[in-house]
Amino acid sequence: MAHPQVAAFARLAKENEKPTRQLAGQKTLLARTMHDIRYDAIHDEILVGNPFAQAILVFRGGANGEEPPIRVIQGPQTQLRSPDRVEVDPVNNEILVANRDAVLVFPREAHGDVKPLRIIRGPDTGFRSARAVAVDAINNVIVVNVSGSRTAALEVFHRTDEGNAKPRRVISGPKTGLSELEQMQVYPPRGWILVAQTSDSSFQEPTDTFVGVWSIRDHGDVPPRWKMGGEKSTLKKPRGIALNAKNKEVIVADMRLNAILTFYFPELF
Amino acid sequence: MRHCTERGVKSALSILGVLASVAGWLLFAADGDGLRTGSRAAIGSFAGFPELRSYKPLPELAGEMCQWLPASASAAGFGFLRERALTSRPASAPQAEERATGEWDRSPVRVIRDSYATYSAVAVDLDSGEVYLQDENLFGFKVFNRLDNTPPTAAFTEPKRIVAGINTKMEFNCGLYVDPASGDVYSVANDSVDTLVVFPRDARGNVAPKRELSTPHGTFGIAVDEARQELYLTVQHSNSVVAYRKMAAGDEKPLRTLQGPSTQLEDPHGIALDTKNGWLFVSNHGHARREPISDWDSDATTSLDRQAIARTGGYFEPPSITVYPWGAKGNTAPLGIIEGPRTQLNWPAAMAVDSERGELFVSNDVGDSILVFRTSDSGNVAPRRFIRGPKTGISNPTGVFADTKNQELWVANMGNHSATVFPLLAHGDVAPLRTIRSAPLGKKALGIGNPGAVAYDSKRNEILVPN
Repeated sequence: MAHPQVAAFARLAKENEKPTRQLAGQKTLLARTMHDIRYDAIHDEILVGNPFAQAILVFRGGANGEEPPIRVIQGPQTQLRSPDRVEVDPVNNEILVANRDAVLVFPREAHGDVKPLRIIRGPDTGFRSARAVAVDAINNVIVVNVSGSRTAALEVFHRTDEGNAKPRRVISGPKTGLSELEQMQVYPPRGWILVAQTSDSSFQEPTDTFVGVWSIRDHGDVPPRWKMGGEKSTLKKPRGIALNAKNKEVIVADMRLNAILTFYFPELF
Repeated sequence: MRHCTERGVKSALSILGVLASVAGWLLFAADGDGLRTGSRAAIGSFAGFPELRSYKPLPELAGEMCQWLPASASAAGFGFLRERALTSRPASAPQAEERATGEWDRSPVRVIRDSYATYSAVAVDLDSGEVYLQDENLFGFKVFNRLDNTPPTAAFTEPKRIVAGINTKMEFNCGLYVDPASGDVYSVANDSVDTLVVFPRDARGNVAPKRELSTPHGTFGIAVDEARQELYLTVQHSNSVVAYRKMAAGDEKPLRTLQGPSTQLEDPHGIALDTKNGWLFVSNHGHARREPISDWDSDATTSLDRQAIARTGGYFEPPSITVYPWGAKGNTAPLGIIEGPRTQLNWPAAMAVDSERGELFVSNDVGDSILVFRTSDSGNVAPRRFIRGPKTGISNPTGVFADTKNQELWVANMGNHSATVFPLLAHGDVAPLRTIRSAPLGKKALGIGNPGAVAYDSKRNEILVPN
């Protein structure tokens, strides 16, 4: 993107309504290719990755303008290589990073060149390419989305698993419709997993794109509980997903539309 | 939660047991062969309404599945969980009963989308007197007369031609070059499509490119050496500059690649050529690492790789402009570096050179300015001129073009849907000579560009969108 930024929009913003604030500039340490962003409501912090500088950046929740991060995880001891997607567990005070063949877990308040607390890595993990991670602190599991070329899976681990751990559940197979997976969220009170699928992001308008909903209790080759998409939805290439539980809304970032769409989805909550 | 689930299952099993007893009595104990025969025949046939045919218990996950809080969890953390539990439906029903699947197609209740063109790059066809603006928001490019000037009261200026649509293969493009001889238009893909596309001067609408070149992922800037018939592209993802034959097509490989720690290429963006001195300028945002991610999309990392990574890691450097001799390849150190607080660089993007005057123009995105350096500058130097201020109309400039024929400087403003043109020697807070606007005056661009993720700030009721 010619201009990297993190923009904040009012929940009820529509069409061309301008952002309430924009975080951008040299001091922010932001780069393009921010494939994940997390808001920690307990500690009022924003987390994003910078894959070009192999770093995780943590900002104040109300950060604005050219404001630097309050903490940066970066350096050789971190083992960060392609911190494409990040997750925060505010209950257990941890930051989780999908890092290609591994999931790295750091203390939430880590700053600088720190070693991971735990690493899930090894042949039994099934990580061909760990693309995203989400933590469910109520049910005490983490979900990792694993993508390869036209194959993908959602793997459920115990939250404290480490090393060459075998996933407790694996959702994968032709009935799932999973292929190239993007940002992921969990909804712990009901054990849902939500994942955006671009199918093949190298195409401008790929087929088989959707937002799928599974349960953390699902296993095997099972179709999604709900499959969001279709003509009315106008979704073309959903890549990002967030939940607003209070208003029972699912918020989707669509790459092809260059837009943010909000859906009312009371069944989910 | 597990307690609740077990109780629910027990209740369901009790009810099933009672129903089974009643059904058994009806089938086998009640009077009449006819009833028994009819009921037996009914077993295995469709009842015509939803019925329980069978059930299969879900396997339990190993490990505790109830709400669990470690001793380290804060009181705030517990409160957060409790609040979420209160605002949600209790998960008391057995999950098996909820395993309905279905399509879910409904209209969004709200859409945030910038409906106007947002210009990431600019190039002028000096032969035809037309200006090309790359639209990174709606995709494609728009063509205007060089002398077009949108009046303040007008909502926008209608373009002469638009090249856009799925056949054009343009999506998130951010670099433009117009061949001064043929009028061919080159457009650089910054994401997804990984293809440099070339159109004839008179292209219009949703047309396929006349030529395509597969490029590395994350190309940003373009420069062409017409004398040597070579084309240069910066690559953000691999911290490199790749040089191709100008007429390269298909899967043709680069003639050479400039890449490696000595180059000090750090998230390279703009690129410009000083053909008089044979110098190549590259602007860098300063996001660095001690090993290139040349295998960005490879599947696995070997243990040897991991050991190497353990000795390396990412780091941040100040923004810079690095200068190389023509033909530089491999791990070649720059001849000079413009870097430091006096430079005022703040996410420097596209650049242009006036070889005759020996000046380098830099679009300085977050500085909302154009910075002008001497091509011979190096080190922590202040720009010799700048264009910046409220009169200029410059907002998040990412594209610049030096028109030495007409002595004008064009600026593409990502921040306000416009391109502005100044005298080539303009300095300070000066009004533009002309402005081409594609949205009403003062309409700020949303700046959404390839939103790969989204988050919800529940404290401020805001949607957070990164690019």
